[in-house]
Amino acid sequence: MNRGPLIFLAAFLALSGSWYTYVVRPSMQLGRFQQTNMLGGSTLYPTARPGLAQQGLEVYRAQGCAYCHSQQVGQEGTRFQLLLTEAGTNTAEVATAVKKLAPQLAGTADPLASLPVAVYSGERRYDFEAASRTLNALGAKAVPQVVPYGADIARGWGKRRTIAEDFLFDSPTLPGSQRVGPDLASVGLRLPDPRWHLRHLYAPASEVKGSKMPPYRYLFETRRVARAPSPDALQLPREYAPPAGYEVVPTPDALALAAYLVSLRADAPLFSAPMTITSTAAPTADTNAPAGATATTPAPAINQ
Amino acid sequence: MSREPDITALPEPAEPRAENAPVPIWIFTVSFVALFWAMLYFDQRGAWFNPQVYAPYKSLSHLQSFQPPTGGPNLERGRSVYENVCALCHNTDGAGKPNQAPTFIGSEWVLGNPARLIRIPIHGLTGPITVKGESWNLNMAAMGAALSDEDLAAVLTYMRQSWGNKASPITEEQVKAVRAETGNRSQPWTADELKPFE
Repeated sequence: MNRGPLIFLAAFLALSGSWYTYVVRPSMQLGRFQQTNMLGGSTLYPTARPGLAQQGLEVYRAQGCAYCHSQQVGQEGTRFQLLLTEAGTNTAEVATAVKKLAPQLAGTADPLASLPVAVYSGERRYDFEAASRTLNALGAKAVPQVVPYGADIARGWGKRRTIAEDFLFDSPTLPGSQRVGPDLASVGLRLPDPRWHLRHLYAPASEVKGSKMPPYRYLFETRRVARAPSPDALQLPREYAPPAGYEVVPTPDALALAAYLVSLRADAPLFSAPMTITSTAAPTADTNAPAGATATTPAPAINQ
Repeated sequence: MSREPDITALPEPAEPRAENAPVPIWIFTVSFVALFWAMLYFDQRGAWFNPQVYAPYKSLSHLQSFQPPTGGPNLERGRSVYENVCALCHNTDGAGKPNQAPTFIGSEWVLGNPARLIRIPIHGLTGPITVKGESWNLNMAAMGAALSDEDLAAVLTYMRQSWGNKASPITEEQVKAVRAETGNRSQPWTADELKPFE
């Protein structure tokens, strides 16, 4: 043992190096995050969750939801899209230009038959802007769009990838790592009704056929209807409904959890996650199905 | 019959010792190739640990290239500025407030010459003024002085194209030109002073 100082130095460097890389640097990077302006405006993102939703985060944590649900959407890339919405008056010239821009439309007789039509879709900004200029010069109206894509986005789990700012007001952050159930990063966007979440927590199979989620009935109270039924009582389908004269009422924990789930909507366009807000209808089909079961599970009915 | 060698007669073998041996050249080669690959990998995806750059973007310039184009009037941005700056007095629906601020809906001051409209938020307006046949005599502060050219253009465009108003958009260049023309004026405008821009 005549290399004591050397071994000490090597161990010290290894430990302090990893401490710096895994603790100090990340906290310097992420600890300084602040609210940022959304793209194209001065609206700040994120905003703190409402109080009840903030309490719901604690329930989410206590019930171990994060063991089966992730809150992180992946993204494989971003592409530009040019949607032709109006052909203008010079339709012959526009049709020729569209055929030249979009090879997939070159064979069709009238590419302007069903507008809007995507005339450019790709990742090269230069081509995209050139196409946009060409069409605008001909008097047509083309809407430029920046669209993130990827497997998670195709499932309808989010509109863009999850970034650190999405968790700015959460402590602790619960991004999860397992996907036994669907990703919840934007569950408030696709299922915005807290009553749906309450029914689903009480009896998952009543809302999603073949759901693997365990029921959380202890978050609810089945009690005899007093003078008048409670306005909070769940409207359950017959096979899950309590016996006549009884009603199922959510506890404050269940209400907080539902408020938290509805508050999960990571859809802001930011500099670090650029995209265009599209006015297309929100995806509804198959979005709440767990990974790998999308084909067989019917879409959840969002009943009032 | 051969004789067994007499082991005890042989000299004792020397203690084994580690000696300096040259490091094989291939180790250097492999390490340099690995280091070079790591350098390229970092250069392509590291973005110098910029906290704003997330995968799938490889660098800040790559991320910048995907920012949505800002061409054309941006009514959403205009609305945001309007509601933060103007709506307190002129109301979110542009109808103004009695004894506080005149209306923007169908107002000749809003729909008229851009050069006149741009001057008002930059320096403010004071004294008597007639809006849609109604007389006002109030003071407006230079609410738009602190706004960027882009924000001011967006908010004026929003005013000219909302609530049933239909007038041409106001561009950043027009705002810039007016700011250059008025120079370092510090006094608010009066309706009479704005006559030449009608």
